[in-house]
Amino acid sequence: MMGPAPAGEQLCGAIGEPEVMEPALEGTGKEGKKASSRKRTLAEPPAKGLLQPVKLSRAELYKEPTNEELNHLRETEILFHSSLLRLQVEELLKEVRLSEKKKDRIDAFLREVNQRVVRVPSVPETEEILQDKDGLNQRYFRKRALYLAHLAHHLAQDPLFGSVCFSYTNGCHLKPSLLLRPRGKDERLVTVRLHPCPPPDFFRPCRLLPTKNNVRSAWYRGQSPAGDGSPEPPTPHYNTWVLQDTALESHLQLLSTMLGSAQGLKDGVALLKVWLRQRELDKGQGGFTGFLVSMLVVFLVSTHKIHTTMSGYQVLRSVLQFLATTDLTVNGISLCLSSDPSLPALADFHQAFSVVFLDSSGRLNLCADVTASTYHQGWSLLWLQVQYEARLSMTLLDSRADDGFQLLLMTPKPMIRAFDHVLHLHPLSRLQAACHRLKLWPELQDNGGDYVSAALGPLTTLLEQGLGTRLKLLAHSRPPVPEWGISQDPPKHKDSGSLTLGLLLRPEGLTSVLELGPEADQPEAAKFRQFWGFRSELRRFQDGAIREAVVWEAASMSQKRLIPHQVVTHLLALHTDIPETCVHYVGGPLDALIQGLKQTSSTGEEALAVAVCCYDDLSRLLWGLEGLPLTVSAVQGAHPVLRYTEVFPPTPVRPASSFYEPLQERSSLLPRLDKPCPAYVEPMTVVCHLEGSGQWPQDAEAVQRVRAAFQLRLAELLTQQHGLQCRATATHTDVLKDGFVFRIRVAYQREPQILKEVQSPEGMISLRDTPASLRLERDTRQLPLLTSALHGLQQQHPAFSGVARLAKRWVRAQLLGEDFTDESLDLVAAALFLHPEPFTPPSSPQVGFLRFLYLVSTFDWKNNPLIVNLNNELTVEEQVEIRSGFLAARTQLPVMVIVTPQDRKHSVWTQDGPSAQILQQLVVLAAEALPMLEKQLMDPQGPGDIRTVFRPPLDIYDVLIRLSPRHIPRHRQAVDSPAASFCRGLLSQPGPSSLMPVLGYDPPQLYLMQLREAFGDLALFFYDQHGGEVIGVLWKPTSFQPQPFKASSTKGRMVMSRGGELVMVPNVEAILEDFAVLGEGLVQTVEARSERWTV
Amino acid sequence: SISKKKKRSGHPSPPISFPAIPIKFSEKQQASHYLYVRAHGVRQGTKSTWPQKRTLFVLNVPPYCTERSWLTVTSASQVQAILLPQPPEHAEAPPASDICLSLQGFQVAYVVFQKPSGVSAALALKGPLLVSTESHPVKSGIHKWISDYADSIPDPEALRVEVDTFMEAYDQKIAEEEAKAKEEEGVPDKEGWVKVTRRGRRPVLPRTEAASLRVLERERRKRARKELLNFYAWQHRESKMEHLAQLRKKFEEDKQRIELLRAQRKFRPY
Repeated sequence: MMGPAPAGEQLCGAIGEPEVMEPALEGTGKEGKKASSRKRTLAEPPAKGLLQPVKLSRAELYKEPTNEELNHLRETEILFHSSLLRLQVEELLKEVRLSEKKKDRIDAFLREVNQRVVRVPSVPETEEILQDKDGLNQRYFRKRALYLAHLAHHLAQDPLFGSVCFSYTNGCHLKPSLLLRPRGKDERLVTVRLHPCPPPDFFRPCRLLPTKNNVRSAWYRGQSPAGDGSPEPPTPHYNTWVLQDTALESHLQLLSTMLGSAQGLKDGVALLKVWLRQRELDKGQGGFTGFLVSMLVVFLVSTHKIHTTMSGYQVLRSVLQFLATTDLTVNGISLCLSSDPSLPALADFHQAFSVVFLDSSGRLNLCADVTASTYHQGWSLLWLQVQYEARLSMTLLDSRADDGFQLLLMTPKPMIRAFDHVLHLHPLSRLQAACHRLKLWPELQDNGGDYVSAALGPLTTLLEQGLGTRLKLLAHSRPPVPEWGISQDPPKHKDSGSLTLGLLLRPEGLTSVLELGPEADQPEAAKFRQFWGFRSELRRFQDGAIREAVVWEAASMSQKRLIPHQVVTHLLALHTDIPETCVHYVGGPLDALIQGLKQTSSTGEEALAVAVCCYDDLSRLLWGLEGLPLTVSAVQGAHPVLRYTEVFPPTPVRPASSFYEPLQERSSLLPRLDKPCPAYVEPMTVVCHLEGSGQWPQDAEAVQRVRAAFQLRLAELLTQQHGLQCRATATHTDVLKDGFVFRIRVAYQREPQILKEVQSPEGMISLRDTPASLRLERDTRQLPLLTSALHGLQQQHPAFSGVARLAKRWVRAQLLGEDFTDESLDLVAAALFLHPEPFTPPSSPQVGFLRFLYLVSTFDWKNNPLIVNLNNELTVEEQVEIRSGFLAARTQLPVMVIVTPQDRKHSVWTQDGPSAQILQQLVVLAAEALPMLEKQLMDPQGPGDIRTVFRPPLDIYDVLIRLSPRHIPRHRQAVDSPAASFCRGLLSQPGPSSLMPVLGYDPPQLYLMQLREAFGDLALFFYDQHGGEVIGVLWKPTSFQPQPFKASSTKGRMVMSRGGELVMVPNVEAILEDFAVLGEGLVQTVEARSERWTV
Repeated sequence: SISKKKKRSGHPSPPISFPAIPIKFSEKQQASHYLYVRAHGVRQGTKSTWPQKRTLFVLNVPPYCTERSWLTVTSASQVQAILLPQPPEHAEAPPASDICLSLQGFQVAYVVFQKPSGVSAALALKGPLLVSTESHPVKSGIHKWISDYADSIPDPEALRVEVDTFMEAYDQKIAEEEAKAKEEEGVPDKEGWVKVTRRGRRPVLPRTEAASLRVLERERRKRARKELLNFYAWQHRESKMEHLAQLRKKFEEDKQRIELLRAQRKFRPY
């Protein structure tokens, strides 16, 4: 670890030094060191590793190109999008490709295994074990398993193997395979899977067509085929499993002949496997496996859609293009070139399977497992998901985004982060009953009794139908069946954890509480009633029609977002007997963190809308005000409430007069010493532009006075014409309207310019930014623009408010709220909606918050600006320009750079913070919180205490200052909301008092301001403004170095003798007592937790 | 150069010339801060705002001290104290916003006594001095914040008066300037030049940087329009070379980016 460096050096360093923080994904096994590493990150500058603007000499840039260079450039242009992409792909392939050395070791092990398998005693030839009719009634599979057990028994005694165990092949429980791992250091290097196979021609192919039955009802159900002579049901999946074994060898041969010699094809397959794995499409039973995608490449080569000279990237692109545009559920494909009339038609396969892709024999559907059981369903969940992902990826590639590679191949899409809601079905044994209820006996017979696979299709069809327009995509995930030891019993279906479904919601479908059915006299009405059961009722609609309809109970937006929960539990209970207790729906557990105190049914969007509505009224009043010397040219909101991102929306204030000290002559209320701190009321800033006119003076001082006069006039007029309580100062007018307080700031458009004007001696007037002009521009121009842009974003994406507020709440709960402006966090949240790739914009606060944590923990702030393209105003070229400008100016820019169309160079909202250390701390905290929260949400038993990740670590602080709740006005907003708190002087009904309530009075904030002013150069102070009861103090190690006596640095220090020399050190004992003195009444205790100052 | 600067600043570094006087908020506190005090003196010839010999210069004044506190801590009557947030060599004009004035950190003070003997008496103080006593309590914490809040409620009348007074003076100043400008309008100066102003009969555009930049830009564009592109063979060759140079530069940038990511092992997909 590097030592502390002077502040100036933090941003420049050598290239290629390793990062201090390991990538988030590798952060396992280091729990013990967490606390100390966290502390270190705060105290030390972040690691180096910063991109430098490229400096090439003229001679280097303009030298004559060689032929080789020209060829390389041409190749890059043709085969890849860009040189960056080419380099990236090459690096990735290096990581995933097997090294020659490892390959040799693996080959050696394989040879050993081969020898031993051959030498296993008394293994009869397969022909001797297998008999003629073994294809029937699982006989083949049972003999196969016995054979494997025999092998296992012998191989387990061999010292060559470190472990010998069983697992299921692709999750199919009829087909175990034997896993062999070498003993010693190579145990993790390689796993060899033994698949027993029958001789190629042993089974007659015609017996195994998808229309045939090979599991007799009499044998399976112990009853003879119904006497009514109904035929035996076909067993297409069972047949496929047998066929897979017979074809295994030929498939491998095909792959190696078609792909083995072309490097581009092999690279392409490797890239495709990475693509599938990042999306978890290859996971679990019936996944879209790497084998399947390799066969798809073979198909595209054989149809000349892919050429063997293509690069890996082009192969990836072609396959994605094919997946995105071809629907294999309608038009199946086949590798078979033969025109043998005895072969079954594609249509036969479409009848049995939803997705059809035949192998070269023309008899085996490679995609048979892609949907578990869809005997009578014409669709496949997984296929829909694969197609959906391929389309998203193609859009991404076509957009030619700079970070396409990162988003396509390097960003994992775990279900919990990809889907708006998830639900766990647990325990799985309930599905057995569901199968019976759904009369899925033929499916069970086909699937060898795997009731989870059998039920999956009908179950998801049911949900898809019920969720209707609320749903964009439904996906399922089953945890892979674990391996088991050769002396253990194999796992049962119910042991395989839970079935998890992911719901991608359609936001426009979430606004309705109504399922509209057919008119009562229509024949479909009965069907509707049957589907919805008792929830369906007859209703008369405004147009006079009487229809069947289902109405869900949901008043607020957050409840409407959770209607899918009601739908799912209702339908599952009604049609499959799965009770509510077995459906663990994870959609809104985080909502509790942004709910108001008394409104547990809403996450605040409604309350915010009320405030925004009141603001709209006020702005109308301002527009229509009579008697102002100048007309109003614009009224703009400039407060988080007015862009829906205030964590706790304001409620109308109705002060109880007995609680306050009235100051009648100024119509104001004052806090009282003998009462608890009154409720916190923050005025909402509104900027009111007045028209430009010759009446404005052209002198900064005079403009201030004219503005003050306008502020006074505004207050007078609003009181006279609309009876509103107002209070004017030189810079703003506070207005009390319907219990909300607005702070109107009059602005004059030319004022920033006046502040910038500098006159040179020659009389030339030039414009130079000054701190005052920048602040004014930020407050009166940029802030209103941002507020209106985000207000617009909320109209487009109703989940924005929830995501932004959860994110902000979390950052503040980590005691870091002071270092990040409201606006900067709002912009990060906005980025999740404007640049959601490789996902789609979040439709629930939960998934948005997880992605916020992911973004914060993985974004490389040092080398990239976060571009938030509001209203899509920046073109691709402009973004490229911004990026290169960023690199050139990196050292002058803030640590965290956020670029918007209105703010392309300066990153105004992060100018004053965070520091590199604080940002690093946030990164570390997010990297810890994300896996913890995801694990909680993916736990089928329920998420447990969801507030865990919101509680800040306190062990890292040197001093804790505990505050008295009596003087914390927002005490009830705390993450762990107190059971009881103090009365804050509010009435539930409007009272007689119309005096101006106490505004912006928050003792902890006042205290913090004083602390930072007095001790800011000795310590950092951390606090959660939402009801925090504790202030964390961290000494700055550099300030604790003994210093020589200097008049400018005596602050809080004292002279000490050190080794005969007089030096200054902080007077910690006195400072700790100062903490108590400055916060008299508010501070309960000051706890010094470390002895760090006695260096 | 740093040592030179130190010498010039007039505060010699050995603390021996700054006796330390312990100071506490009240009886209740255990530990003390230390005031470092010295008689205020300036070298001959330099001007000082503070009266010679009667002024005490104090360093490290704790945040809860107010200008009134000096009456309490030094028992001398008739003192006047000025608190500054920073020692004089750093004293740029503090930002004039009301928030800053209400805040306090550690400060320096110039305490002006009635007689020179006050300074020597103060230098001899042993302490610990108490800022808040029973007879002269100093408000802190909740007490202070509530009274600060009450003080912050603005008086609209006072504001109105201030605005009116200022604007009256301002208007008068402007009127005078205009009158003067009118007088000088068209009147040549000694060398015969006539000054053209914005206010005259024939006003001109103000001379601003932005305006001249605009003119330059317009000129440039006009010239660019006339130029022929890729017309001569050398132009063609050069533009091709330029393209190649761009590609090379991009390639170098990309390589650097990759190098960085590789060092961070960012190419491991999972």
